[in-house]
Amino acid sequence: MSEPQNLLRKGALEGVRVIDFSWIVAGPQCTRILGDFGADVIKVENDANMDYIRASRPVGGSSSPNRSPLFTTLNRNKRSLTLNVMHPRGMELLKDLIKKSDVIVENFSSRVLEKWGLGYEEQKKINPKIIYCSMSGFGHSGRDRDFVTWGPTAQAISGLTYMSGLPGEESAGWGFSYMDHTGGFYGTIAIMMALIHRNKTGKGQHLDLSQVESGIGLTGTAILDYTVNNRPFRRDEMPPGNRAPERGIAPHNTYPCKGEDRWCVVAVSTEDEWDRFVKATGNPSWASEERFATMQSRFENQDALDGLVAQWTINYSPHEVFEILQGAGVPAGAVQTPMERVEKDPQLKHRNFIAEIPHEELGTARVESIPMKMSETPWSLDRPPPLIGEHSAEIYTELLGVSPEELATLYEEGIA
Amino acid sequence: MIEQSEQSPPDRVGGALEGITVIEMCGARGHFMGKLMGDMGARVIKIEPLGGSIERQIGPFMHDEPHPDRSLFFWAHNTSKESLEINIETPEGQAVIKHLVENADVLLEDFEPGYLPSLGLGYEELSAGNEQLIMTSLTAFGQDGPYRDYKSTDLVALAMGGIMHSCGYDDLPGSPPIRPSGDHGNKIASHYGLMGTLAALFNRHFSGKGQYIDASAHEACNSTSEHALPTYLYEGENVFRQTGRHHSTTPTPKTLCKTSDGKYLIVFQLFNNLHSWLSLVGWMAEAGMAEDLQEEKYKDMARGGSRGMRAATDTTDADHAFEVVRRFIASQTSEDIYRGAQNLKFPWGQVRSPEENLEDPHFAEDRGMFADIPHPEIGEGVSIKYVGRPYRFTESPWEAFRAPLVGEHTSSILSNTIGYSESELKSLQNKGVISLQ
Repeated sequence: MSEPQNLLRKGALEGVRVIDFSWIVAGPQCTRILGDFGADVIKVENDANMDYIRASRPVGGSSSPNRSPLFTTLNRNKRSLTLNVMHPRGMELLKDLIKKSDVIVENFSSRVLEKWGLGYEEQKKINPKIIYCSMSGFGHSGRDRDFVTWGPTAQAISGLTYMSGLPGEESAGWGFSYMDHTGGFYGTIAIMMALIHRNKTGKGQHLDLSQVESGIGLTGTAILDYTVNNRPFRRDEMPPGNRAPERGIAPHNTYPCKGEDRWCVVAVSTEDEWDRFVKATGNPSWASEERFATMQSRFENQDALDGLVAQWTINYSPHEVFEILQGAGVPAGAVQTPMERVEKDPQLKHRNFIAEIPHEELGTARVESIPMKMSETPWSLDRPPPLIGEHSAEIYTELLGVSPEELATLYEEGIA
Repeated sequence: MIEQSEQSPPDRVGGALEGITVIEMCGARGHFMGKLMGDMGARVIKIEPLGGSIERQIGPFMHDEPHPDRSLFFWAHNTSKESLEINIETPEGQAVIKHLVENADVLLEDFEPGYLPSLGLGYEELSAGNEQLIMTSLTAFGQDGPYRDYKSTDLVALAMGGIMHSCGYDDLPGSPPIRPSGDHGNKIASHYGLMGTLAALFNRHFSGKGQYIDASAHEACNSTSEHALPTYLYEGENVFRQTGRHHSTTPTPKTLCKTSDGKYLIVFQLFNNLHSWLSLVGWMAEAGMAEDLQEEKYKDMARGGSRGMRAATDTTDADHAFEVVRRFIASQTSEDIYRGAQNLKFPWGQVRSPEENLEDPHFAEDRGMFADIPHPEIGEGVSIKYVGRPYRFTESPWEAFRAPLVGEHTSSILSNTIGYSESELKSLQNKGVISLQ
């Protein structure tokens, strides 16, 4: 067990060692945050079965496993160890590593570690204080535990896909694997809660995460509306598009702007904000019509209202609307493109949101930073996303006490 | 009928955060942080203005009757908290907050930057009386920078964070980007705020010191959009949105497939592996719907596994195969095709409405993920079914109790936790600092 050294701590989780078997997005998102907080995350891979995302859209079309853009952002601040768990010596070394670690994370389907002979009961024999976080689609128990999920599957089953869209149309869903990000967050949250619990009790535990369950937890009031009011979310007027029926406020929507497929959002939530909005848009005569006199009447007449607001926004770029309305104290925003977020957003620049670190193959790795400033344990980009096996030698020799001679054999026999 | 009789928080033992006291001064952006901590055993004291938090006015409401204690929105995001209803813009109210914070571990707040310091309740003042304090300020754009004083809502956060740019339709001309409903901009912000808070709590165990966390919803959303930023950062291209599936820089096949009962299934990775492919085609052949899919060339595509699928994505053969499968799916009910395909190891999912999971025995029975939470204020013995734990801990249980009524614990917190006398309470009441029912 690695004992954190008081004075040496820099990141908040300095001294915590994580064995990371995870791959693709959800697991690496979880361990990325642990690494960002200063944990020593050791990503265990092998050449035959490397993290699949290493092959995703490699820069320059290269076949190198070290050039995937998404891999870089998900795996900075980690070390890479190549180890073949199917070889008896590989398994022995892995068990040595478990003795020196605090957390094991994996997001395989639900029986893989058991098949390796490394289920939680076995882990506990090796290291009684180990915290084991499994992140599968359906969890490690129940009749459907062997079902297979990717992010989009979990979003569909949990209800999140259905909740996104215009009424009467197909689901717009999520344009990316939101539940890989958020499933990862729940892994991180659970692991840190378990670490805090272990500080107090000395006990490790198994954290059995189901990506679909975490998704169901994010469906807001849909379940309660059904169990309390017997009103299903699957009904004609749902999903609500970009409107806010639960709040009964308007204007609250996307509006077209100057340019092709450019949009802004406006979210007027109070009477005061409405007055400011009217003033900022130049006191148009329609704004004083009886049907727009109160929040309730604006909400009831929002089809007409939205059309009139759009006639104003269409004269401006999304960022012009954003600045005019925010300058007047009205919540509004631009639907920002990736280019605008990286190149233009002055707030993100001010907060140093995009961070850079030298990278052997890419020249420079550019990644999103952790979205917070911590006064005592600030974030730093200490390690570039690892080349495959980049840290094998140091981990085998320094941490596991393997001799240089044996290391050569490990490489030769395909164990490392 | 709602009665104003106080419910003492139940004694919960063994939660991962047992023994940790959290003062929560949060609205919609941050209240999920407090809920997640409370559900795992922390004592969470929610500070509400007189009359209650404005989130209590957000619907839907129990039986559609608007009332601060009947907002299902409030219930869903505020389980496992106590409510202290107090005017913090008075010196007496500020004294109460200072007193509570002196003995607390964590302060969560999501006010505009500068507001709490203007009341003498900034981190500097508060940590002077408690160097172990962890204070997390979860704002729209952060404590500094050109947007620091700008206003935000869930919709604004998702637009500025780039998430909406990736969500919407590519086959519905003129349609806008879509905000997925469910307050996800706020939730992403809360998840990050919570993660920072937990990391600081772990750290404090060794350092003995608390810290200040300046977390921003804008940055949180901006770091939660998968391929969008890496693709731009390394390839200089903007991804675009596509109906019901991933953003991309080149069009990809539509994954939404309609089933015979008018529902939808997400279908992808058709050529996942040879075994799954052959079983699927066999199933289709039994129904007389395999058409030409038994031909050798499709087996070759499946042999390539997921890499083969990717190589084949743009070919007419792959498109044709998908169309044949789509016709087969259209002849099956959503439940049959979902379970049948999953049994063949296809990662396909039903597009369910959230409440449909209440009927799924895997979640409802085997995993017990829904929780019956007592609501004695509605009637004796009344419980209501909620979404339960988002994770299963084997040693430290998830256990929630219902959201507090407005000011439900004002008197017990002031007298028992702080030690105010009956007459002091009366005096606070007379000065309009608190409101005792």
